[in-house]
Amino acid sequence: MTAGFRVCSCLMYYRPIIFGMRHTMKCHHIQRKLSAYQDKELKPREHEEVSRHLLNCHSCREQYEKLERVWQTLGGIQEIRPDPWFYRQLVRKIKEPRERGLLPTIERFFQPLRTPAIASFLLAIGILSGTYLGNILVRRDFFPFQPTQPTYSQEDLFDSLKAFDPAPPGTLAHGYLRIMNYEEREPR
Amino acid sequence: MARIAKGDDEAFEILVNRHQTSVLNLIYRFIGDRTQAKDLAQEVFLRIWQSAKGYEPKAKFTTWIYRIATNLCLNELKSARHRRWVPFQRSDKESENPVEETFSDGSPTAEDLLLARERSRQVSDALKNLPTNQRMALILKRYDDLSYEEIAQILGCSVPAVESLLVRAKRTLQEKLKSFQK
Repeated sequence: MTAGFRVCSCLMYYRPIIFGMRHTMKCHHIQRKLSAYQDKELKPREHEEVSRHLLNCHSCREQYEKLERVWQTLGGIQEIRPDPWFYRQLVRKIKEPRERGLLPTIERFFQPLRTPAIASFLLAIGILSGTYLGNILVRRDFFPFQPTQPTYSQEDLFDSLKAFDPAPPGTLAHGYLRIMNYEEREPR
Repeated sequence: MARIAKGDDEAFEILVNRHQTSVLNLIYRFIGDRTQAKDLAQEVFLRIWQSAKGYEPKAKFTTWIYRIATNLCLNELKSARHRRWVPFQRSDKESENPVEETFSDGSPTAEDLLLARERSRQVSDALKNLPTNQRMALILKRYDDLSYEEIAQILGCSVPAVESLLVRAKRTLQEKLKSFQK
């Protein structure tokens, strides 16, 4: 009697927790099915079960409404119409089989390489022509009026070394020294 | 298809007229570029013409067409990534020419037109950011109303995989398009 009373009071105490958990578990289970429910991909029995649950559960209904709103928003994407000449263009493509096949594929493959290839080719031509012209121009007999190499005597060489003197020849100091020497040798 | 296999131009024209809008819009929603979408749509029909002789009706005809279109889109995206392109952008030509765009409410005002364009751009951007398989699954479900089984056949995966792709896509879009839901 006492034990029965205890079980009853225990159930009474934990009832909201137990039922609440069951409710949450069911909601979790239903919410996983909402997408398929929306897409009408559930079996009839499951569909019915979800419909009944949505009538009574505010939180799941809210979730479903959110899904519906997203679905409606997606309808906002604009549609495009094909050109009136779509079929004619297509027929033209079909009747020009030569343009389709291996050649355009190869062409498409090499298209990104076209610019660097042209640049490299022009660079190579520039280098080759530069080298060739350079070789021609440095040849001695190319210029008919080539200046003759000057010849220097030993005397000239000694004279040029005088440039390092304190008073090199041709400078004002040199002239002054010469005048002084002249006056010293022939006094008035 | 049997008539097309025999070289019947008229049958081919009927087929093109019947499916060109859906194929074009499927590609446009996936790629996001009008010019590219038109080129790829022509490529789809060209492949149909070329493979008409070997066609065996294993699944629904639309499923087969969509499969060709999907494969072309995925290949295009791969090669675009290889070329380091950003394909999902509206071209200048596109924004200059709104005449071809259609609206559900018939005759839109200038404000409606701007709002619709802005909404379309935001939705396109949200779609663009989805992973390719999620994006294609969502487009096929939302705009072409295909079943999970048909989508699975087109994408070459299982039905539970399609369900999972759609759940994830919807969850992502719910976050991205929050501003529209108020």
